[in-house]
Formats: sequence, C-alpha cells, structure tokens
Amino acid sequence: MPPIIDVKKCKACGYCAEICPLDVLYLNKQIRKLIVRYPEECWHCKACVKDCPVNAISIRYPLSHMMLHFPKEGLK
Amino acid sequence: MKTYNCEFLCVGGGVGGLMAAIAAGKKGADVIIAEKADTRRSGSGANGNDHFHCYIPECHGTDTERVYREIGSSFDAGPWVDMELTKVWIDRSFEVIQMWEDMGINMRPTGVWKFEGHGMPGQQLYNLKFDGALQKSCLTREAKQQGARILNHIIIHDLLADKDGRLAGAIGVDISEEIPETVMIQCEAVLLATGMVSRMYPSITPAYMFNTPCCPATTGDAQAMAYRFGARLVNMDMLNGHAGPKYFARGGKGTWIGVSTDIRGNTFTPYNSKPSRATGDITADVWPTCYRDRLKKGKGPTFMNCTETSPEDLDYMLHTAMVSEGIDSITDYCEHYGIDLSSDMVEFGTYPIMMGQRGIEIDTHARTSVPGLYAAGNCTGNVNGSLCGAAVFGMTAGEDAADYVKNTKDISRIDPADIQKYEDLYQDLLSRSDGAHWKEAASSLQNIMNEYASADQQSEDMLNAGIEYMRQLKANCYKELGCSNSHELMRSLEVLNMIDLSEPIFLCSRNRKETRGPHVRCDYDFTDITLNGKFQTIYKERNGTVHMDYRYKR
Ligand SMILES: Cc1cc2nc3c(=O)[nH]c(=O)nc-3n(C[C@H](O)[C@H](O)[C@H](O)COP(=O)(O)OP(=O)(O)OC[C@H]3O[C@@H](n4cnc5c(N)ncnc54)[C@H](O)[C@@H]3O)c2cc1C
Ligand code: SF4
Ligand code: SF4
Repeated sequence: MPPIIDVKKCKACGYCAEICPLDVLYLNKQIRKLIVRYPEECWHCKACVKDCPVNAISIRYPLSHMMLHFPKEGLK
Repeated sequence: MKTYNCEFLCVGGGVGGLMAAIAAGKKGADVIIAEKADTRRSGSGANGNDHFHCYIPECHGTDTERVYREIGSSFDAGPWVDMELTKVWIDRSFEVIQMWEDMGINMRPTGVWKFEGHGMPGQQLYNLKFDGALQKSCLTREAKQQGARILNHIIIHDLLADKDGRLAGAIGVDISEEIPETVMIQCEAVLLATGMVSRMYPSITPAYMFNTPCCPATTGDAQAMAYRFGARLVNMDMLNGHAGPKYFARGGKGTWIGVSTDIRGNTFTPYNSKPSRATGDITADVWPTCYRDRLKKGKGPTFMNCTETSPEDLDYMLHTAMVSEGIDSITDYCEHYGIDLSSDMVEFGTYPIMMGQRGIEIDTHARTSVPGLYAAGNCTGNVNGSLCGAAVFGMTAGEDAADYVKNTKDISRIDPADIQKYEDLYQDLLSRSDGAHWKEAASSLQNIMNEYASADQQSEDMLNAGIEYMRQLKANCYKELGCSNSHELMRSLEVLNMIDLSEPIFLCSRNRKETRGPHVRCDYDFTDITLNGKFQTIYKERNGTVHMDYRYKR
C-alpha cells in the first residue's frame, strides 16, 4: 500500500517517520528499519517523498482512490 | 507523567498555532506549541497552499469600504461569518504577507503581486497566488526564533481548570514512543487551533477513512475540548464540506484551471464558459454540493473540464501550481494512470461534511467566551478559517494572550486528583489490548452522523434517535475500546472527542426549527423570517446544563 520504501537506498534515519502528518511510518530502532506501519492511514500527501534526504520513498496510489475521468470525445 | 509549564499554550501547530506562537513570542511570552504530528509538515497546510486571500492597498486601492463589500459578499466570507471579524482579517492580511515574505515564504513567485483564481465576477481579484510549499518549515523556524518550545507528537486531549474552575492548562499524551506517556502542561492561556473535522462523516470512499480533502489528523479536538470546558460554539447546525476529484479526495479545487461541465461539455453555472487562469471557475466554491445535487436529480456526472485550457496553462497548473498547493499527488496520479487533461475530464464529487468555519465563537481578538481561552483557524465558527483567517486570528490571539498572561498570575495549580481521571481512562484503554479497535467505533460514529445528522434531510425524530445512539456509542466505547500502543491511543481519543462533538451538532440542528441554507428539515420546510441574520450559539455549563441561543450576525 501507499508509501513504498526502497530498502537499498533507505538509511533508516527516521526523518520521514518524524514528519509524517498521519503517523503512518515507524522506525524500528532495534533492527534499524523503516516500516510502513499504518498504510491505510496514509493521506498521500507526499511529505515523506519530498523530505527523504536520499529519495528512497515513492507513493503507490491505490485502486480505491481511483480518479474518475471520462474522455471529452465520449465513449470510444 | 511529564509536566511542562509555560504562559501560553498553542494546541495544534498548524498555520493558526504557529502564527499565535510567533506573535506571543515577539511580545515576550513563554510559549509552548503542542502538536499531534510535526509542525514542519502537519495539518491542512502541510505541503503547501497557493491562494492567500488578502487586501493589498497598492493593488486594490484605498477604498476599504469597497473591499469589505466585495469580500464580504464573496464565498470567502459567506453568510455564516461575522463581518466585524472579516474586517479584521482584511485589514491585517497584508501585514501577514509581508511577515511571511520576511520568513522566506515565496509570496511573489513571479516577482510581482499576482492575483489568480477564486475570482468573483465583477469584482477585483483578492486571492494572492503564492508558493506555500515550504510554508510550514518557515513558520516553524520563525516560531523557534521567537522562543517557542515545540512539542511534537503530543495529542492534547482536554483542558484543565484550577481549583476555582479557571483555565489552567491541558492534558494529553506523548505518542512519540511505542508506550504512551501522559503529558500535563500548566499555563495561563491556551489557543485552540486543531483545524477541520475531517473524519466525523464517512469519506467519499467509506472503506478508506483517511481519503479526505483536508488533513485527516484534524479531528475536531479543539471544538470538543472547548465545548466540554464551557466555551460557546456557533453555527454548528450549518453543516458544510468541500468538493474535488472523485474518488481521490484532495483539497485545492481553486488550483484547477478549467470549467465545471456535464458529460457533454456544457457548463451549468453563469460564471465561466471557457477556462480562465485569471479567475478560475468558482462553481465548486459557491456550490460545492452541486456534484451531489446534480447526481440526485439525474443530471450527473459533473466534471472539472480542462480540455480547453491552453497547453501552457495546463503545464503550469500541473507542475507549478499544484506543487505550491501541495496537491502534486494529482499530477503524479495523472502521469501514472495516463490521464491526459487535454482530452480527459475529471469527475468531481461533493465531499462529506467537515465543519470548517463551524465551531468555536471568537471575538475580534480571537478570544472565546472563556477567559484565557483563544481559538483560530478552521476550528472557529464565525470567521473564515482558511489560510488568511487562520494566520491573522492566530497572530491576533498570540498578541492578546501575551498581554493577558502578564496580568493573570494568580492561577492556582492543577489538583493532581483532577489528572487521575485521565490517567485512569488511558490506562483502561491500554489495559484492554484485545478490546474493540478504534476503527469499529469510528465506523459507527460516521454511520450515525451520516444518517441521523444528515447533510440531505433532517427531522426531529431522526435527530432524537441520533442523540440516543450517540450516547449508546459513547457508553460502549468507555466499556469496550482498547488499544495496544500510542498510535491506537491517539486514534481512540480522537474518536471519543468526535463523539462529544456530535452533541452540539445534534442539539443545534434539532433546535433550528426551519429550513435554511444547508440545514434542511423535512418537518419544518419553511424559512423562519424571525431568524434572518441570526446565528445559533451553544454552550454547556460544567454541571451539564446546555444553553442555546440565537444572536444577530455582527
Ligand atoms: C490541499 C489543501 C489546499 C489548501 N489550499 C488553500 C489555499 O490555497 N488557500 C487557503 O486559504 N486555504 C487553503 N487550504 C486550507 C488551509 O490549509 C487551512 O484552512 C489552514 O491550514 C487552517 O489552519 P489551522 O491552523 O486552522 O489548521 P491546520 O493548519 O490544519 O493545523 C491544525 C494542526 O493541529 C494539529 N492537531 C490536531 N489535533 C490536535 C490535538 N488534539 N493536539 C495537538 N495537535 C493537534 C494538526 O496535526 C495540525 O498540525 C487548503 C487545504 C488543503 C488541504
Ligand atoms: S527519510 Fe528516507 S532514508 Fe530516512 S528513514 Fe525515511 S525513507 Fe529511510
Ligand atoms: S504520503 Fe504523507 S501521509 Fe502518507 S506516509 Fe508519506 S508523509 Fe505520511
């Protein structure tokens, strides 16, 4: 679900977990791993994506949040 | 339990809370901001905003009466605000803009004052187009520079009184670690600025509660605390919400450059027939329920149609304006799913009720009816709570509170016994780790609100039933709710606060025995002329006696 962490890039600095407005992300300090703990509470705001110092986060937009669109020319 | 002392506590470090802290800090007050998340990226302004409603004399002229008249009759003021408060934000808006520019917020991305969007036909444009992408980090830096202490990851749950019943502090929970810790903050004055009520009604995708246009962390805690503490609320019967893309809920409808049309491309309001970057299309501003209303009448679906927007304007909208506004997730979404706005129209929907500008009554100094208690922004009930309103009244509150605390040194300590009931509640919830999950309670809350305090049609019988069901839900929650960590405790307290907040909504809705604006009663389908120009207020004494009244709009 929503934020996807590139584990190869992630330095487990915890910054994204600190600033996430919804407390979705969690840094497990014991195993030094960033965990997407409450994915269904993500607002898809992209704060984590923008603030990660090593660009390790991307967002997957879920099918539930489908943005309905219709071609101006009508049904093909 | 952790204890802190300060003179002025800002509850919520959004736009209003940070501005209050800055203003009070400048006047030498000892300030703490308690924020549920992290002030650098929290609240509805977390990732930016792009319109700052304002009056800049060098652009709009010196005829202030004209400015008051124009803004006062626009949707940005609207029928449910006091003109005396609207005048305050109009008068002080430029001061805030200059202050923000000094803090490093990009108020003139093109080098000049530029007004775009939310344009009322026949009026001057008052929405300054700025780049707010970094506004929260700039405001946070300034608040620290003015001496404020920022406590992030603390949810404030309730206000506390001293032995004489006077405001003396607040209680909450530190959720930064796995195991929560109770936090008590003693102070002389408090600002409540916790934003919208995003999760009281089902979202546009009911199975996904956090799919909301404004920040889902804003859950009406301020209004609930104010009501329990005896502060007066206003306009709680005038349910309102936003509109935007369906089913991807995003605020910021004013950032779109397009026109509202039906599926054949026909417009249905008199405002714009062609997309205009200068004015935008105010259909969604003035008639946010049009998408739902038209669906119900068989006239849907209704679209944001950008197919006639110029390629330059589309590029600007998607890659500049939406970034400033913090909604570039829409840009990403379009790119990922191959949506081409030059040929695809995006269906808009009416979002659920959020109670923006419905809440705590304030005066021109942002004072509530309780001495020492202030409120600003989306949680206030009689003034525009969006960016400019939040910033100006946050600032006003901070200035006034700094004076208030200097003259209020005789608040006695909070009795530790008063704290115990909160500690007991938190312990109860945590001890039931296999108890009911907060989402179960949130689901019932949203269903009851949606059906019994409905945006469509209300009646005394339905409202009475809703009041009773909400009491049952509250009792059940206190018996059954359980949580296993800090995060779940925060979510549980949010639900308990929203349940308390339902009471003034139900009571005021029941007491308004007429149909007016968004308040539709099938048992009173006329508009009572004796209530013209009046707002309904409500407050509750600590002994539980509720007072409701109508007063003239000021
Ligand atoms: C995408 C989007 C675009 C927008 N664009 C514009 C625009 O261009 N122009 C405009 O005028 N308005 C705009 N708005 C609205 C504007 O952002 C809000 O009106 C403004 O942020 C309100 O400020 P506030 O201080 O009342 O609340 P917020 O800025 O939302 O802050 C509330 C804060 O309180 C915190 N909080 C909540 N509960 C608690 C608690 N119990 N304890 C501690 N902290 C708590 C929250 O985490 C949050 O930080 C937009 C909103 C959105 C979502
Ligand atoms: S901010 Fe980036 S590097 Fe740091 S923990 Fe998050 S994903 Fe990893
Ligand atoms: S997109 Fe926003 S809400 Fe989702 S995890 Fe990132 S910061 Fe948190």
